Amino acid sequence: MKSFWEQAVLAPLRELGQQALASLSSLLGMLVLVLLGLLLGWLAKEVVYRVLRALRFDRLCGRLGVGQEIERMGFAHSCSYLAGQIVQGIIVLAALLAGLNALGTPLTRNLVERFFLYLPHLLAALAILLVGTMLSRFLGRSVLIAAVNAGMPAARVLAGLTRFFVMLLTVVAALDEFGISRTTIIVTFAILFGGMVTAGAIAFGLGGRDLARELLQSQFRPRAKTEPNDQIHHL
Amino acid sequence: MPEEILTDQVQQQLQAAGAVDIVIGIPSYNNARTISHVVRAAQAGLLKYFPERRALIVNSDGGSRDGTGERVQETTIDPQVLLLVKHPLYPVHRLSTPYDGLPGKGSAFRTIFRIAERLQARACAVVDADLRSITPEWIDLLVRPVLDLEYDYVAPYYKRHKYDGTITNSIVYPLTRALYGWRVRQPIGGEFGLSARLARHFLARDVWHTDVARYGIDIWMTTTALAENFKVCQSYLGAKIHDAKDPGSDLSAMLAQVVGSVFSLMETHADVWSKVLGSLPTPVLGFPFEVGLEPVPINVGRMVGFFRQATRDLLPVYEQVVPPVLARELQAFAALPDERFALPDEFWVMLIYSFALAYHRRVLDREHLVKSLTPLYLGWVASFARQTENEDATQVEARIERLCLAYEQLKATLINQWPLPASEKR
Repeated sequence: MKSFWEQAVLAPLRELGQQALASLSSLLGMLVLVLLGLLLGWLAKEVVYRVLRALRFDRLCGRLGVGQEIERMGFAHSCSYLAGQIVQGIIVLAALLAGLNALGTPLTRNLVERFFLYLPHLLAALAILLVGTMLSRFLGRSVLIAAVNAGMPAARVLAGLTRFFVMLLTVVAALDEFGISRTTIIVTFAILFGGMVTAGAIAFGLGGRDLARELLQSQFRPRAKTEPNDQIHHL
Repeated sequence: MPEEILTDQVQQQLQAAGAVDIVIGIPSYNNARTISHVVRAAQAGLLKYFPERRALIVNSDGGSRDGTGERVQETTIDPQVLLLVKHPLYPVHRLSTPYDGLPGKGSAFRTIFRIAERLQARACAVVDADLRSITPEWIDLLVRPVLDLEYDYVAPYYKRHKYDGTITNSIVYPLTRALYGWRVRQPIGGEFGLSARLARHFLARDVWHTDVARYGIDIWMTTTALAENFKVCQSYLGAKIHDAKDPGSDLSAMLAQVVGSVFSLMETHADVWSKVLGSLPTPVLGFPFEVGLEPVPINVGRMVGFFRQATRDLLPVYEQVVPPVLARELQAFAALPDERFALPDEFWVMLIYSFALAYHRRVLDREHLVKSLTPLYLGWVASFARQTENEDATQVEARIERLCLAYEQLKATLINQWPLPASEKR
């Protein structure tokens, strides 16, 4: 009777208790890791914010046009603070994943492993997007100012095209980093670009060479060519 | 230990020449067409006005390939034709040397100053190599105030056509005057006289590997002399006529260089100009006389066109630079019909001050910022040309004086807004 009681009731109960204890310790471990991540994340955010502010990062962003872009997207904080928040987010996310890993189930372990393998690509793609956005704005503005100073009526079109193509290249590079099939991207890009050029050529051909010439002349020929020049010594 | 910029050959030549009283410097780059005339004028000026002084003419060349250096060596002058009252005691030596350092007029000046220092010259003058209107009197007018009246810096004073020197008239002269409180009419004239003390002071400054060495030397020298309390005067030289300008030279780049240099110097000397209000006249030496000036063709309609396009296409850029009220005014002036197109002085001054503040705060990439000023400047030139169409030189000068007063009156706004904001948004 005693042996039956031991085998049928107490042993399963003991096993259940042990399992519950193990799960509880894993849960507690996860909780501690998450709390630690939150604390570290907050600290890192403050440090990053203050260091970047001291290095006048906001002015750099403003100069490159990123600050205005961020404001336009509805963020009320400065670029330094935003960078701090990104660092905080990464730390909190990492802590959350470490916590999940601490649970020790095959599913969470697999999830964490895949995330960490993908993380460098994610960061590289974000960096490419950031640099590409800044570059497109900078080059677009360079072209715009140069074209206006040269008196080209299509200054905004030229600047827009510059921004578009730089961003297109940026997105292609970022997608490549994300791991989306390189061949697919190149083919898509080639089809898009080739299609645009062909469409333009056919449209001009069908519309008439004269019209095309007039349009190009009116849009891209600087005014100075058709009017007498000034002979001022400006200095 | 100062950096050695003179070649061994030049040093040997200097040793052979011995000490001199006066050094005349001629910076050049492919000026074979005109440099002979400039050298002759300098030589004649030295023989005629300083017969008892030892002197050297230095051509500091930027690697000319058209034989500029050879022209300097070949050029001779017959003292008989100069009708000299006093026989010169010493011959005038000449030296042509390529300069060391960054390519630009500043590096050429540095070599000239170093030679003047090495030869213990008491006075030094520099004149452009492309001058067609230089006469021997210019040498007297640039050097004598230093030797006899103990001035440190002699700026030129020219008679110019009303449409000549419009960057000087609209920005450089009034802004320099309002900032540093001294009225120097041609702060970027190109011809200057300097004392040995000032030349040594310039040489000791750590600017010879910056834009000053490339293109900003004229305004840097004038500003340094004014801001650091050297004794400054002006000499009346008459008309200034250059060799025909390179048609490919880019107004936008030129404006960016000049205005960028002025704005950059504002940062260097902020503690000086922020304490200055109003301005004082700088003595003008020499004998003022009227000169015949050739007409300057100007296409006002084209300039207004540039201004209008900029207020449309570059508006997002300007909105980052100027206050909203000025951005609205920009559009309103652009909408005026051709016959009524005019930019008021106060508007122009606030525009320039806004650009200076934006440069200081690095609101935009600095090159973008100053280059975006080009069409607005053309708008000012168009407005000025319309307003002065039927005005003579005196009336035009009075108009420029009113613009200068506007710069001075509105300077308080600039002073108040100059300090960078202590707290920025979190």
